[in-house]
Amino acid sequence: MTAIARTFGGESRVSFWDRRRTVAPADFNRFLVPPAALAVHLSIGQVYAFSTFNLPLTRLLGLVHSAPADWNLAEVGWIFSIAIFFLGASAALCGRWVDAAGPRKAMAVAALCFGGGLLVAALGVHWHELWLLYLGYGALGGCGLGIGYISPVSTLIKWFPDRPGMATGLAIMGFGGGAMIAAPLSLILMREFGTATSNGVAGSFATMGILYFAFMLIGAFVVRVPAAGWTPTGWRAPERPRRLVTTAQVSVGAATRSPQFWLLWGVLCLNVTAGIAVLGQASPMIQEMFSGRVAPAAAAGFVGLLSLFNMGGRFFWATISDYIGRKNTYFVFFVLGIALYAAVPTIGNFGSIALFVGAFAVILSMYGGGFATIPAYLRDLFGTMHVGAIHGRLLTAWAVAGILGPVLIDYIREFQIDRGVPKAQAYSVTMYVMCGLLLLGLICNALIREVDQRHHHRESPG
Amino acid sequence: MNKLRLILLWLIVGLPLAWGVAHTLQNALRLLH
Repeated sequence: MTAIARTFGGESRVSFWDRRRTVAPADFNRFLVPPAALAVHLSIGQVYAFSTFNLPLTRLLGLVHSAPADWNLAEVGWIFSIAIFFLGASAALCGRWVDAAGPRKAMAVAALCFGGGLLVAALGVHWHELWLLYLGYGALGGCGLGIGYISPVSTLIKWFPDRPGMATGLAIMGFGGGAMIAAPLSLILMREFGTATSNGVAGSFATMGILYFAFMLIGAFVVRVPAAGWTPTGWRAPERPRRLVTTAQVSVGAATRSPQFWLLWGVLCLNVTAGIAVLGQASPMIQEMFSGRVAPAAAAGFVGLLSLFNMGGRFFWATISDYIGRKNTYFVFFVLGIALYAAVPTIGNFGSIALFVGAFAVILSMYGGGFATIPAYLRDLFGTMHVGAIHGRLLTAWAVAGILGPVLIDYIREFQIDRGVPKAQAYSVTMYVMCGLLLLGLICNALIREVDQRHHHRESPG
Repeated sequence: MNKLRLILLWLIVGLPLAWGVAHTLQNALRLLH
């Protein structure tokens, strides 16, 4: 470690990984930070493509078909669920440590956890021990996901006080984009490592573990934090701050005691619930609503298109929020979302596939936009001091929505079909329920006011 | 030097992302066609 420290910065006694060593020199170009953040988010975004491995994991012994001793799909499905649970838990619990340790150490720990998790999972596949996959990819990898998700975001907010939405949107867009890299990469690796006696999953996990570890470390090496009091050249904080944009700082403890935190929690949870419900059911939904007109292959294309809009919306809407404000951006999400969800049953009856695809493309762009705009909203309301920790705690809303959304759409659909409603119309009630959820989100957003002064931090943020 | 680093870093993250997006778009359009 000392050798590395010397290589990168002379004889300083402070460790290379220490936050103090990451304070940027005066000539540092802040546009180096977004690609550093992207290196992490593009890697951890792999989790969204984990389902590529689901079927191969159920055929490790049988290869072509599942053998009796093979794992079943439900057992394999838990790997992803555990990873998402640990994402939420580690983001909520490690947020304060991430803020204190600095982005370099946090990103390196995330790289170790995520890369190491994939390597442990590779061993689990090799020895055919499912618990090693739960422990490796699920628990260890999940911690890498949570720490890796929040640390670059809070750093970017500090570097781009003039355009926090755009900066965080860019990083969080990477999380959506990571799946688009990982899905074809997984297929290529399984083909390369596949032999007559193995379907190549272990080799793919091991290779991805090493690749992602190295890729995330690039981000950790490059990332810097701005010096205290630094502002972008030519930019001055507005003398009269915009409404709902504070110049004060709020600690994570005070933030979670404020009504604003819980209203934002509701805003995120309801926006994500509405989007995630569609994301999980997009393929069967388009096939059932346009029965006989949309083949499974075309439905898969529809899902791919939605993921592109989910990714693009993250950058687009977060950037827009810098100009129109966060509250107005969420107002657009909820009002436009209600209008589009309410229109879907009519579009279905009308039989227009193009309008249907267009409506859901916009809905999914707003789902992604909701994730990407929230860190800047937090920064506006609570300042930058503990924004990483506050963001981490807010992400528990994601975990709740991840369960609520799919359960809601599945349950209502089943209930409708059991009552004799044709499959093509079974989604109508779901769409109206989504409208109701979005209306609740609209109310939560409308109730958000500036944080009361009694919650403001008294000392200098340091 | 700083500019070269900037370009190199954007290429390192941009190229895989562009590859992934192109792949997804190609699949989506082929299947939807």
